[in-house]
Amino acid sequence: MGGGEKPELMINGKRLDGRLADQLRPIKIEVGAVKNAVGSSYIEWGNNKILAAVYGPKEALPKHVQNPEKAIIKCRYQMSPFSSLEDHGRTGPNRRSTEISKVTREVFENVVLVEQFPGSEIDLYIEVLQADGGTRAAGITAASVALAASGIPMTDIPFAVSVGKVGTDLILDLNKIEDNYSDADMPIAIGPRTGELLLLQMDGILTREEVKRGVEMVKKAGESISKLQSDALKASYEKTIQKYQK
Amino acid sequence: MQRIVVPGEKIAGAQIRIENTISDKNGTYACVIGYFDEERKMLMPLEGLWQPRPGDNVIGVVEEDKGTMYIININAPYKALALSKFVDAELAPGDIITASVKQLERGGTVMLLRLTKLEGGKLMSVSPSRIPRIIGKGNSMLKQITDGTGTKMVIGLNGLIWMRGGKVDLATNAILKIVEEAHTAGLTERIKNLLSGNKVQ
Repeated sequence: MGGGEKPELMINGKRLDGRLADQLRPIKIEVGAVKNAVGSSYIEWGNNKILAAVYGPKEALPKHVQNPEKAIIKCRYQMSPFSSLEDHGRTGPNRRSTEISKVTREVFENVVLVEQFPGSEIDLYIEVLQADGGTRAAGITAASVALAASGIPMTDIPFAVSVGKVGTDLILDLNKIEDNYSDADMPIAIGPRTGELLLLQMDGILTREEVKRGVEMVKKAGESISKLQSDALKASYEKTIQKYQK
Repeated sequence: MQRIVVPGEKIAGAQIRIENTISDKNGTYACVIGYFDEERKMLMPLEGLWQPRPGDNVIGVVEEDKGTMYIININAPYKALALSKFVDAELAPGDIITASVKQLERGGTVMLLRLTKLEGGKLMSVSPSRIPRIIGKGNSMLKQITDGTGTKMVIGLNGLIWMRGGKVDLATNAILKIVEEAHTAGLTERIKNLLSGNKVQ
């Protein structure tokens, strides 16, 4: 939570950037941003700019981390030193990036069919180039597109959005200022096929009813995100098909 | 009807057993990004890795000579082993071989059988998901390329292609075209044009 004087976040039902309470920022997803990777994606989510890349499955090293039953997923979430107005100037893992890497890994351990690749590892890199709040949600959304593009079998393409609270209103998809000064912030990741909750973190205080309402808001907003994800995945293939359809 | 599906996309309302899918009580869903054929009920992956199965023909590069066995890199998450007593030729690290998979052992090693050394030539790596298209129905596409260029080719299901002699460059171009347009209609005709030197669209 931010310090100093708290700014007014909702004025006449509109937020600081002119959005309504349940409105997402504009999202753009591209597939294949990193040519060397097995699968990759680039997302622009409002002012967030994030690259995600997938390598593997390959032999898990060092050998003692191997699981003879299934593949292990290694995830690295990292903010670049120039990504934010706040100080992220130190390279290397810190408390925050270690935590986000862990929760992201756990999202994908539940959707990737890891049993098909015993003894191997799948590397997942999420690199935040520009940050404006909600980067873990945008990172998960980008990483799931990268994983699907790599052809690694998975049961679902998860998406993530955060929900927050300003006064008595619930707001969707918080940006940096809202993130710092709102009363609560709850990033949620959902697998749209089953509606399973894959990530649920909360900072601040929400009542039971508000949590329920927040999850419903995320599910509703997720329909448009899921569509963007699958459109991005299909785009490059459909372009080649159309070229020769005449 | 054929269409492109992404993981989690519903492809049937009932539970059907199709490769690369999962099903629950509500229906069957795709697990990979692929090309779904509604009539033949088949899901062909557009990307992805090769999974070793007994009987698969692969191409590998010898990585290490352990005396009693060779360790071979087969472009998969697993290391491959071949016992020296079943190999006729003397192999050295860096040699290209073709072999068939005997079995995938617990612990993630692949046992190979019937090793043959491939002398000279050129090795090419493509996505394993494109190999079925490069071979074609009943070897049709492969035969078209070898006939058109006079190149001797060996194709490994693990995504490695070895070729020697003839117009290797033309064969390489043909394969790159197949890799790029594997999921489009009328590809055979375009490859035919490419090989005969006609203007390609």
